[in-house]
Amino acid sequence: MSREDQRTDGGTATAGISDEPELKRGIFARWVSKAIKNPERAYRAMFYTAAVFFLVTTLFPFYWLLVVAITPESAALGLVPGGFEVGVFADVFVKIDFARYMFNSLLLATLTTIVVLVLASLAGYVFGRLDFPGKGPLMLAILAISYFPPAAFFLPLYRLFTGNVFPWLSLYNTPGAMVLPFSSLFMPLSIFILTTFYGQIPDGLEDAARVEGTTRLGALFRVIVPLSAPGVATAGVLTFIAVYNEFFFSFWMTDGSASAWAPIVAGILQLQRAGQFEITYGVMAAGSIIAVLPVAILVVVAQEKIVSGLTAGALKE
Amino acid sequence: MATETEQAETVGGDRSGVYTSFVRWMENLTETQFAYFLLTPALLLLLVIAVWPLIATFRLSLFADSFIGGATVGEFVGLQNYIEIITGERSASLPAPLLPTSLSMSALFESALAVTLVFTLASVFFETLIGFGQALVLNQEFTGRRWVRVAIIIPWAIPIVIQGMIFFLLFQPDIGLLVGSEGNGILQQLGIMSNTPLANAQDSTLIVIVADIWKTTAFMALLILAGMQSINRDLYDVAKVAGASPWQRFKTITLPLILPTVLVAMLFRTIQAMRVYGIIETVSGCTTVPSLSCLVIQSFFQNSAVGSAATIAFITAGIIAIVVSVYIVGFAREGI
Repeated sequence: MSREDQRTDGGTATAGISDEPELKRGIFARWVSKAIKNPERAYRAMFYTAAVFFLVTTLFPFYWLLVVAITPESAALGLVPGGFEVGVFADVFVKIDFARYMFNSLLLATLTTIVVLVLASLAGYVFGRLDFPGKGPLMLAILAISYFPPAAFFLPLYRLFTGNVFPWLSLYNTPGAMVLPFSSLFMPLSIFILTTFYGQIPDGLEDAARVEGTTRLGALFRVIVPLSAPGVATAGVLTFIAVYNEFFFSFWMTDGSASAWAPIVAGILQLQRAGQFEITYGVMAAGSIIAVLPVAILVVVAQEKIVSGLTAGALKE
Repeated sequence: MATETEQAETVGGDRSGVYTSFVRWMENLTETQFAYFLLTPALLLLLVIAVWPLIATFRLSLFADSFIGGATVGEFVGLQNYIEIITGERSASLPAPLLPTSLSMSALFESALAVTLVFTLASVFFETLIGFGQALVLNQEFTGRRWVRVAIIIPWAIPIVIQGMIFFLLFQPDIGLLVGSEGNGILQQLGIMSNTPLANAQDSTLIVIVADIWKTTAFMALLILAGMQSINRDLYDVAKVAGASPWQRFKTITLPLILPTVLVAMLFRTIQAMRVYGIIETVSGCTTVPSLSCLVIQSFFQNSAVGSAATIAFITAGIIAIVVSVYIVGFAREGI
């Protein structure tokens, strides 16, 4: 039996069973007897059940967000929206400076991604293509640093950025107070991804460029990086998502006001903590939907990169 | 080498002299020197923003708390903070405005440790289990597979604060679907949750665990899927010809071959889960479900107990280090 055959009558197979002699049996009983004769059908049914179950469980919370957002305040909340109210999406921008929070988040994510890509490109080139004493221990050290919880870095950094160490160095409430920790937190993953990609480029290509008279750095940025564009894109997408989603430093390195470069974390929490009389649940849900859009689009567009990057980065060692 | 330098010079010949001499200097470096030269920016960043804070946190943990003034540090006490907090001797009461009685630091630490461990064990266990199921589904060929994969990845990609907001709205008794303000929700009638789930420590812990499972199972699924796809398809064909049922094929081929991948994925998830903070802060607040990271923040900001905060931060890091080494020793013994 070919795969096509299995698919057409597997799983939901209730119709089109003409060769069934005992008409007295119900649909389910007939299906079971078929399944016993041919276990592949049972597995197929299990597969469809599981697929639907996973789809429902992962997507339902988003659906609930949408229902809460568009159900008018006067209508009762239920599984199906009790009306259609789009004003909440505009309210989000009126009640708080949501646009600025979104801008801050996107800016912080972009800045961090640029810093990480430049530094991790250099480091990935070194680890992927050069041989030198101390290479193994250094890579291990970088890996080990990424194991520590943010809380173990936080206290001294907070004191440093609020000017407790050097009075002239006060990065608190500036993008720097977040971009620096983000960069060092998320750079190790990018280094590992790029090490893998850069290591795969044949030596001959780099040698050819060098013979042609390109400088060492020229060979890196004009030959190696363009050839590993998919790897660079993967590292970039993962860094961007990681920064956009980060909580710990995003929450504590500013006072939470939009003008102090606070990212979307502060915006959403401001909606949530404003109180029911100020901000309705609908507005909270609407804000969340808007804030999810950038990463949702990124996932749809770049899902292959995300999958390959996550697995390459995590399974490297 | 000399000819290359000259060629580099001619290429960059029309640029400034500084640039030319920089290029020449770089071309003359040995491979080791060049490697460290390129690593300098990355290592410098890690040194200032990661290594120094770690050392400074450890240094702070050796000083007593000082409750006079702002976030200042008391006298040097060596390892006394560690000894007192771990053995439960830290009796100095801390102001705990939201708790019925003021609690000792040790009691708070024990509670936070328990919460963190329960959270970690429960979420990693269920994420592995469900992630396995998702990987099995994604490993099949079917129409719409791409979109099922997007659906499974999206929770992983959304910001923690929005994950928190979603579960806040799902379990908010005023509007919740599963809970009601008069105890008329299905979870309340089944006796699983109280009337105020987001203010109840037990209910909130459960909600936070479910939220974490919802968000990060995708990570587990993707890693396990990668492990499954690296298995040689011929093995399955041979097994099929030999008459093995899908279950037998799964048990004798898939399971043993992806076990190393699953263990690595579990290690990563354990490390991440031990840090849990943001989802708790958003869903119910750190006073309801205090994790270790919560306690660091609370000690630092609410109680100005810098020494204790640093000690707990370092104990958290130490526990993670122990988990990592247990895994590594396990790998070494299994020869993976």
